[in-house]
Amino acid sequence: MIAANTIELTVVTPEKTLLSTGATSLQFPLEDGQIGILPGRAPMVGRLGTGELQVETQTGQLRYFIEGGFAQVKGHAVTLLTNRAQELGSFDTAKVEAAFNEALNRSVTTAAEQTAKDEDLERNRRLLAILKR
Amino acid sequence: MAKARAIIKRLKAVKNIRKITRTMELIATARFKKAMDRAAEAKAYTEKIAEIVGDLAAADLSFSHPLLERRDSEERVLVLVLTSNRGLCGGYNSAVLRQAGQRLRELDRDRRNVNLEVSGKRGLAYFKFEGKPVDRAFTHFEDKPTFEEVDELASRFAELYTSGVVDRIEVVYTQFQSISRQNAVRETLLPFENLTAGTDDSAASHSVDYEFLPSAEAILEEIVPAAFKAKLFKCFLDAAVSEQIARMVAMKGATENADEMIGSLSTRYNRARQSQITSELSEIIGGAAALE
Repeated sequence: MIAANTIELTVVTPEKTLLSTGATSLQFPLEDGQIGILPGRAPMVGRLGTGELQVETQTGQLRYFIEGGFAQVKGHAVTLLTNRAQELGSFDTAKVEAAFNEALNRSVTTAAEQTAKDEDLERNRRLLAILKR
Repeated sequence: MAKARAIIKRLKAVKNIRKITRTMELIATARFKKAMDRAAEAKAYTEKIAEIVGDLAAADLSFSHPLLERRDSEERVLVLVLTSNRGLCGGYNSAVLRQAGQRLRELDRDRRNVNLEVSGKRGLAYFKFEGKPVDRAFTHFEDKPTFEEVDELASRFAELYTSGVVDRIEVVYTQFQSISRQNAVRETLLPFENLTAGTDDSAASHSVDYEFLPSAEAILEEIVPAAFKAKLFKCFLDAAVSEQIARMVAMKGATENADEMIGSLSTRYNRARQSQITSELSEIIGGAAALE
């Protein structure tokens, strides 16, 4: 039986279950802003944004970078379905910066390329902001 | 003498082939296990998506999304065929291609506009032989299709469908049912049909009053493409697992046949050798008797 003051967090990407752990609190971005979750939250289904997922566990803090998807809160279980998730520690700031600059200087000719460019810019900008904090 | 030599040569060839098929069987087994694990991991995502869709359905929402809309006239049809890049996997490719060929003939008869997209060198070779033009070819999906690659394809399909370039998208692939059962099937990808299928009872039995953030509509707008992508990804994973199973079974059969052949060839060689010795002996004895 799960203690009343913990959350059962599962982070699922299309390819695999990335994380399955107990947690005392969570913070992650929804589409329209940051949300914090404590044990005993009312059931919720939300659309995720791009940004940082912070998980407070009994042994310490886990930080991930997640990109879009859905969150479901149901009793003690919190499930995050995300397209991509990666541990923040595994990012290389210089590489992200290079990718950001590459996207910034990319010349586009079609609408699809423009959207791709915007997405890349947005993603790397947010990632940089978190990494440089 | 000549006959025994010829048999030995064949025996050696068969032994070599046996080595190759046996190795391929082992490789296919290892790959199959990996592919199977990947498919099992991916299942969690699909199930959760289905659960959220069920939750949305339970919240009495009317589902309306461009990807769910059925067109009145299905003039332009896109058919995606998933085959393997490599051969030596028994009836795996021919089963898929038979299904695809049948469907293409049907569509031709109804005078539909067909866009044919093929993944896998085997399928490409077949359609080239048949003289059917392939609009797009993919050969980069190996036994480990990644979600990113499939995502790219799925986004393009969604775009084609919503912009009205095609009215229907179908996929022909090998569905994995169990380790001993894989079927070549044809499924409709878009319009997306069974979004809520199979989730109704679970949603009804433990319905929870959800808060939807930012709104149920916003979630619906995002979850339909996500479910579609997950479905296409599953097709690719199924095809990859089935290919490895088909290869495993085919190579196992080949190894067994080689074993059998080695046995019969050895017997033949021994008989040939013995009869040769016998005839040589009788010649010597005959020669000695003539000298006395």
